[in-house]
Amino acid sequence: MTAWRTLQASVRGAAHRRSGLPNQDAVRIVRAPGGQALILALADGHGSARCFRSQVGAKLAVASARRLARRLHEPASLTQIKRWAEEQLPVELVRSWRERVEQSLARYPITEAELAALDLAGRRALDANPWLAYGTTLLTVAIAPTFVFFLQLGDGDILTVSDEGQVDRPLPPDERLIGNETTSLCSHQAWKEARVTFQTLAGVPPALILAATDGYANSFRDEGGFRQVARDLWAMIRDEGLDPVQSQLKGWLSEASEFGSGDDITVALACRRDIDRAIDAAAIRDPGAAEGAESE
Amino acid sequence: MAIRPGGELATRPLHFIWITDRSGSMSTDGKIQALNNAIREALPHMRAVADDNPNAEVLVRALRFSSGAEWHVAAPTPVADFKWVDLTAHGVTDLGYALNMVAEQLRIPPMTDRALPPVLVLISDGQPTDDFNAGLQALMAEPWGRKAVRIAIAIGEDADTEVLQQFIGHPELKPLQANNPEALVRHIKWVSTAVLKSASSPASQAGDVPAGLNVPIPATPVETDREKVDDVW
Repeated sequence: MTAWRTLQASVRGAAHRRSGLPNQDAVRIVRAPGGQALILALADGHGSARCFRSQVGAKLAVASARRLARRLHEPASLTQIKRWAEEQLPVELVRSWRERVEQSLARYPITEAELAALDLAGRRALDANPWLAYGTTLLTVAIAPTFVFFLQLGDGDILTVSDEGQVDRPLPPDERLIGNETTSLCSHQAWKEARVTFQTLAGVPPALILAATDGYANSFRDEGGFRQVARDLWAMIRDEGLDPVQSQLKGWLSEASEFGSGDDITVALACRRDIDRAIDAAAIRDPGAAEGAESE
Repeated sequence: MAIRPGGELATRPLHFIWITDRSGSMSTDGKIQALNNAIREALPHMRAVADDNPNAEVLVRALRFSSGAEWHVAAPTPVADFKWVDLTAHGVTDLGYALNMVAEQLRIPPMTDRALPPVLVLISDGQPTDDFNAGLQALMAEPWGRKAVRIAIAIGEDADTEVLQQFIGHPELKPLQANNPEALVRHIKWVSTAVLKSASSPASQAGDVPAGLNVPIPATPVETDREKVDDVW
């Protein structure tokens, strides 16, 4: 069975620091019960005036991914899991997120001050759609011994790197998402906006899987510059190990935000344990050290 | 450890395009000179707003239309380097032609999909003399045309505000009426500062927000009493 190492980092955007806004992204990495499946979940709260609780909405979105972990623990055939991922999962995630939002609203009703900050059209929009205040995207990657699937609702990017260093996008870019518009968990029929790709792992799985909120890709001059991130990280982990990457990742993300998009940037990464040569080297020096290096 | 992963970092481009009417009627009552003065006066304010947001690269250009249309400043020019050369007035009002030319520049490429929503500012004192609808259709056929912040300024009471409203494309946002040079200065300054600021750091918007309002449009400044009695156009 393939073993995976993971890391995650999230930084407040340079523009958010200037304007006093918080980091509105969220990230969570979860191992399914039994440890066989791994879930990466990232969310990017919209941050617009109407989505004034999107920082909370993003946290609730990645928490909803725990439902996915429980489901992956149940025995099922590949065909059943594929059908569930493509047809049921988006509905379940949206439903779970909405339940959490409604619990939040019941506990912390929208205040007069929050309403006062909205114009008339904003108040009407909120009346018509109570989830709007928590609007967020959701990116999810599920990695199991025999399959991997990718779910994307809204903007953001997922890249994979092969053992040869080839970078791919398992989900094609969504042509509708340019500028600052995005599909969202708060849309009325949000489950219809989710895009899912399911891959059976017949051979060797990807060496590295990287998921990032859109602030990262938007910080590079072009698509090639962003794809190079995944290839460079793969090469760094291969040559020097995961731990040095982990220790510097936040600094790299802050630099990208400052000299790029200015947006919050969040990354979740899973790499096959066997590409991390540092583990092999540590194992030779101290047979117990390699196991201790697992980040999850 | 190696250097930062990834290629060249870059701030996000924000294209700001003046679409200016220089038809013959703009020569009456000093309209064209008032427009030249207003844009020139607004530039320092525009630069100050751009300086406040180093994560947006504000690139300005200008298109002029009369009998046909042509680029007045063709290259997307960093706002720090942008200079206004006076327009002169003659000819008719081929607005449709102008919008076709803008649409060509909003295609991907030459535009990049990582840009911020462009700002298009249409300023006119008259009625289109060509196929305005075809031009507007071409503009709205481009994703960046639809996502652009579209602002319109009507100079004088002869301006076709219905056409300008169609250009804006959203009932909540009305054309700005300038019936004297002071009002024109006020509107041009507002679009060069408040609108530019809003467009240069827009929050993400769920895709089911009303079309044309993907960037929050700030409130327009209030007309002064003096302006009200000084209407000349």
